[in-house]
Amino acid sequence: MKLREIAYARSGDKGDTSNICVFVYDPAHYNLLLERITPQVVADAFGPLVLGDVTRYEIPAHHGLNLVLTQALGGGVSLTLRADPHGKSFQSLILDIDV
Amino acid sequence: MGNPSVLIGCGSAYANDRLGPAFDLARSARVRYLGFDCLAERTLALAQLRKLQNPQAGQDERIDDLVPLVAEFTAAGGRIVGNFGAANPRAAVDQFAAGLRAVGRTGVRIAMIEGDDVLNQVRQEDLELPELQTTVGSLGDRLVSAHAYIGAEPIVEALEADADLVVGGRLADPSLFVGPICHELGWALDDWELLGQATLVGHLLECGVHSTGGNFEDPPYRTVPDPHNLAFPFAAVDATGATVTKLPGTGGAVNLATTRTQLYYEIHDPRRYLTPDVTADFLNVRIEETGPDMVHVSGAQGSRRPDTLKVLVGVDMGWKGVGEASFAGPGCLDRARRADEIIRRRLESWSEEFDDLRIDLQGWNSLFGDQYRPADEPAEVRLRLAVRSRNLAAVRAAVYEAEYLYFGPAGGGGVVTSVTPMIAVTPAYLPRERVSTNVEVTVS
Repeated sequence: MKLREIAYARSGDKGDTSNICVFVYDPAHYNLLLERITPQVVADAFGPLVLGDVTRYEIPAHHGLNLVLTQALGGGVSLTLRADPHGKSFQSLILDIDV
Repeated sequence: MGNPSVLIGCGSAYANDRLGPAFDLARSARVRYLGFDCLAERTLALAQLRKLQNPQAGQDERIDDLVPLVAEFTAAGGRIVGNFGAANPRAAVDQFAAGLRAVGRTGVRIAMIEGDDVLNQVRQEDLELPELQTTVGSLGDRLVSAHAYIGAEPIVEALEADADLVVGGRLADPSLFVGPICHELGWALDDWELLGQATLVGHLLECGVHSTGGNFEDPPYRTVPDPHNLAFPFAAVDATGATVTKLPGTGGAVNLATTRTQLYYEIHDPRRYLTPDVTADFLNVRIEETGPDMVHVSGAQGSRRPDTLKVLVGVDMGWKGVGEASFAGPGCLDRARRADEIIRRRLESWSEEFDDLRIDLQGWNSLFGDQYRPADEPAEVRLRLAVRSRNLAAVRAAVYEAEYLYFGPAGGGGVVTSVTPMIAVTPAYLPRERVSTNVEVTVS
């Protein structure tokens, strides 16, 4: 099952750092989210797109996670040559992870 | 509601935001205050470039279009706070004043907030630029701009001076809302818990349609009604929290999911969201759906504001070039990959000049329409070359290679190229006491 079937997400940028918040629709899936969406799994999914670290903040009140990815945007909105400078699309790559 | 409350809405979330939802909210009689965020990270550096070419330029480019809104809304007792000034708050104030007089609306009190331009301080302190791993001093004449994020303090000062319209430069996004909330409800600017709550409201309003169904749909899992007609959000705020909603008859949605995604948008540690006003803690914010397209939010916390102010430093990085060309039909991917190899080979002699170069392959149905849909390869591929360098000739040489794909592998076409100045913005941190603001009131 893909994460997209049980969760939703939004990605944003500050400088060269991307954050992606992810929430499960059904609170019963929160443990699965905690178990499967680890920093290492996220780092593997992004591969060479992210040169820095992945930090994971848990948000139990909302059955969610906030994932913070450094050196993630090819230098940041104003410097990157990527087609999606803000990493707006990153939310969809997270949701494609198998859970 | 027993507690004193204030009604405040969003008028803009960035420099090119649509104006219709702002006019709708201004004319709705549902809000007393409107906050306009007009700046994204790069907007100010680009505005500085416009100002360098013309001392009367560098402010928000929508001011003439906003004059009717300001005229009507302030006549009805409404008050507006915005970072319309961008690189040139004085020019913004002059333009608003002249525009208002031209439509017969005299007597509008316009406050200008200056002090966010910290180019001199940044030079003197030789600030570190962590993302570039260097210091300001090393930039020499490539240093274009430096703007500190300014908090609610001078906004409150301006509102206390009876301003109808408050115009600043790099006023921080949430502070555009924190200022009016604190002014109206009498909240002290060192009551960190209340500032945490006000900042929560500011954060939910400052991104406009991000709270009402924008950047949200993912069919079939998530859709909203009438996504062509999204509204800007507004809120009723009191000491217990805030009710966030949108105008009836508009599209989109305000619910638990839309509010959550905005609550943690562009935030790192949820317990430490740093603004000029406060260190806000959003970890345990409560969101309750209290009606159709209506949520009540509460439970934000706050602690002491940071001792430094974030500064965005604009740096001239030379030029950015982009060139694109398409291939379609059988073997299109192979031909595009061949083109990639040819371009890289031809640009070898320039490689020392490029600070960055990449070639990517895009595409869906732009050449043959939906009728052509092969099963085992893409219908089309669009090669996109992007390059940056401080050497304009090198950038042009690279971009021309996209054009020469008319004569590369068979069937290359649809070339589009561009070369634009590349201004990077990078963060730095300046001790708060090195930044002083000034409020000056003009009457239209």
